[in-house]
Formats: sequence, C-alpha cells, structure tokens
Amino acid sequence: MTTVASIAPAWATGVCAGLRAAGCRHVVYVPDNPLSHVLRVFEQEHRDVRLVLATREEEAFGIAAGLYLAGARPAVMLQSSGLGNSLNAITSLLLPYQIPTLMVISMRGDASEWNAAQVPMGRALPAILDAMGIPHLRVESAPQAEELVRQAAVTAFGTRTIGACLLARRMTSVRA
Amino acid sequence: MNRLEATRVLAASVGDAPIVASLGHPAYDLFAAGDRPQNFYTWGSMGVASSIGLGLAIGRPDLRVFVADGDGSLLMNLGSLATIGSTAPANLVLLVWDNAEYATTGGQPTATAGAADLAAAAAALGIASSVTVRDEAELRQAIGRAQAEPGPWMINAKVAESAPRAKPPLDCVFIKQRFMNAIGNPESATTGGAA
Repeated sequence: MTTVASIAPAWATGVCAGLRAAGCRHVVYVPDNPLSHVLRVFEQEHRDVRLVLATREEEAFGIAAGLYLAGARPAVMLQSSGLGNSLNAITSLLLPYQIPTLMVISMRGDASEWNAAQVPMGRALPAILDAMGIPHLRVESAPQAEELVRQAAVTAFGTRTIGACLLARRMTSVRA
Repeated sequence: MNRLEATRVLAASVGDAPIVASLGHPAYDLFAAGDRPQNFYTWGSMGVASSIGLGLAIGRPDLRVFVADGDGSLLMNLGSLATIGSTAPANLVLLVWDNAEYATTGGQPTATAGAADLAAAAAALGIASSVTVRDEAELRQAIGRAQAEPGPWMINAKVAESAPRAKPPLDCVFIKQRFMNAIGNPESATTGGAA
C-alpha cells in the first residue's frame, strides 16, 4: 500500500515528525505551496494534530498565544512574506509575555526564487528575526529536518522564546 | 450604559471563567470592575484579543472563554470573525465594547460611528449567534444566553466612554503566569517540576 508519507517529500514528513516529537499538537497556519505537503501529512497521517487555518499571520500568532495559555505547545506555519504581517503580535504580545511558539517558515526570496516581489522580505527575514532576538536555523536538506525542528521546538518551549525554522526554498521547491 | 458599567455586568456574570481583554480602556475597565487572576490583560497587540480567546477556547473546550474587545481593535482584525465563524468553538463568547471611537488614543471616530455594523459582520462571517445590545438589561440577558446556549457568540454592546483612571498590573509575565495558574495550566517554573 502506498502511504501519504511515502509520496510526500521527505523534508515534509521530517517537519511533521519533529513537531510531533517536541509535543506540538496544534499548528496554526496561513497556506503556502510547499507547506501544503506538511499539511497533507498531518491531515492524513497524524490526525492527533489539530490544524487551525488563520486569515492572516498576525491572527495566527494571536491564536497560538491563546493555545499556549491553554496549556498547548503551538506551532505557526507561514511563508516568509507573512512575517511582515506578524511583527506587532510578536513584539507586543508573545515576546513581552514570554509566550513561546515555534515558527516554521517556508522561505521565498532565497536561492531559486523567480518572483521579484518575494525577494526583499526573503532576504531581510534573518536580519529582522535577529533584530527581535528570535533564534533561527535553516533547514537545507530533508535528512536534517526532523531533528532540527525538534531541537528548535525544545529550545523554544523550554526557554519560553519564539524559535524559527527556515525551510530553504532549494529544498522545498524540489520534489523528493 | 457606559463601558465600565457594561464591564461590571460581564464580571458579575461569569464566575471563574477567563476573560481576555483588549489593550487600553477595555483592559483598564476590566481591572476597575475587579481584578482577578482569570483576567488576561493585553498591553499591546491591538486587534488580536479575539484571536487569543479563540486559541484558548480551542485548547480548553471545558472552559467558557470571554473576550472583552473594542470596536477599533476588532476592526483591525476582522478576519478573526471569519476564523471564529468557521472553526465555531461552542465555548467562545466575544463581547465588543462598541463606543464608536478610538477612546484610548483621544476619541477619534471609528467606522462604527458611521455605517459599519460589527454584529452584522460577525453574522455574515459565520457567527450565527450575533446580537447588538444597548442597555444593561439586554447585555445581562445576552450573556445569560451565551452561557446557556452553544456558541460561538458575538455580543456587540453599544456603550458610552467611561474615562478609566486605574491601570492593570504592568508586568506581562506576572499577568500570564497568574492567569495560567488560575485556569489550571501552570508553567513549570511556577510549580517546580521533575528533576
């Protein structure tokens, strides 16, 4: 029998496994093309993970904050362009209240980008995260994905900070 | 009915249930109506109080979750109404203190001073139980229904400004940890944990 996991890109199954290993059972998201693979693995292989669709990234961070208050370990999945929509909730809610969440960011604007409108935010994103003091790491290849996501989540929830995993476009834009 | 009077009706009605308050005057009036650990006062993130309430309601279906929002704040995050309408948590009650002005910033009129109708917007975006109330008796009745009947509920309360004079605690982490302890989700540092 062909399972979803066997036809999904290996990086996507790794991201799902890393989030589950870190205890994340709630994922709030705004859709993105590569992230659709992650969503499909969750929907079809891990029904214990609740997916919550938000209309806008800032809203997603608000929902994630409420989930944390409820005792959950929330993750927020977004495209890099959506970080710009998120900054007020991040800087005036999650950071000052020390509400942790793990951001899984599908990168645009890095290697293999073809759309000029995606480039400025994609290039600025690491520096913007640095300016807010948010630790981030890049996931460049599928074999790293599970462990890097798990480690980032352990640090985020253990130290009550936001953590960010940046999914490199050269990984997500190539089918496994 | 001014916003403080409306907030007192809410606080007197909800027992131990959590209340998430939008920044500025809604939070100040919630504090003035009676500080309690189950109050989550926001100090920033204008617009996302309803989103915080939604996440809390999803994560704790055993609690009835109340949000004290403002018209100006909700107008900043109208998509939240669509998300609440489509996820439809039965235990979420979104109250909007609609004074038709940005009172915290000096009284500039909001869109509800004109044609905008937030209860109609909530109904159109899938929150079937959406009502507008204009006095304390109507508000008390609506909150009673929202506690007895499945939600999500949106109660748009037309209020006058109330010029609050007191502010909630300033320490955000204190607000969070006190709140999480009160609703039974203590963070490990406030309780100790396994070695």
